[in-house]
Amino acid sequence: MKLQEIADKLELEGLTPVPDRDVTGVYISDMVSDVIANAKAGNLLVTVQVHSNALAAANLVDICGIVVAQGKKPADDVLKMAVKAEIAIFSTALNRWQVATKLYEAGIR
Amino acid sequence: MVNDTTRPRYELTDVEPGYVIIEREMYSHAARSYFSAEPVPPKEPYREGARVWSFWEMAQSFRFAVRDNHTGETVRFDEMLGLLYYGCCDKDSELYRIGELAHENRISIYVAVTYEAPDGGRLEMPLDKLVVLNKAFNERLRTRDKKILILPDSFGLYKELSYGQIMLDFGLTAMEEKVRSA
Repeated sequence: MKLQEIADKLELEGLTPVPDRDVTGVYISDMVSDVIANAKAGNLLVTVQVHSNALAAANLVDICGIVVAQGKKPADDVLKMAVKAEIAIFSTALNRWQVATKLYEAGIR
Repeated sequence: MVNDTTRPRYELTDVEPGYVIIEREMYSHAARSYFSAEPVPPKEPYREGARVWSFWEMAQSFRFAVRDNHTGETVRFDEMLGLLYYGCCDKDSELYRIGELAHENRISIYVAVTYEAPDGGRLEMPLDKLVVLNKAFNERLRTRDKKILILPDSFGLYKELSYGQIMLDFGLTAMEEKVRSA
């Protein structure tokens, strides 16, 4: 499933341009070290982290997009880093569990 | 969903969660760090000759090895404190400028920051280990033309960077910027 398709289904607020990428799966974590060790390339990361190191970890493992839950939004400098890294950043008022549920309902397994 | 059934050549293995413990010497205020895999991170002060080291800060992290599935060889990276992304550095720094140049060629620069050595310097990461580390992370990529380049700390970054700039987990949700020197 394409990243934009998921964003539309979940009504996510896009904070950066959305690259034309397939989502290979979802990884939910707030720990940078966990993302580095366990997330897979093409995964959509669901987190509440807005620190630049979360973006750095996502870039290292080739995450295609980050859904920042619970209404949080990264600072402008982090968004600029994401644009450069071609990683889409979305924001949603939903919590991580609600995002996970909606992703499952959208067909992501 | 895409199911990738191809076994990668390089795999992160022996992933051991733990803590990066940062301690400070009572009189000189020197700081140093080490990895602890203890379930409860040690916080008691202790004496080392004339020096007294006290717990200062900790971050969740992990240590790992990389296994080459073709040769069966496993390389451990116990000396690595963490990776530093060029984009998290000061925009006036040499690393940032090099990182920007590399980025134009779709190369993302990271620096492998190692733990402090007993003499106050840094542990060295041999080049052949960095080669393995680079292969492991680049093999995981799917984006066409994207490359990761993990460099040794030839910049002497450890003298000026803060632990918060390194990809460590200071607190689960806050991850506030740290201003303390590594």
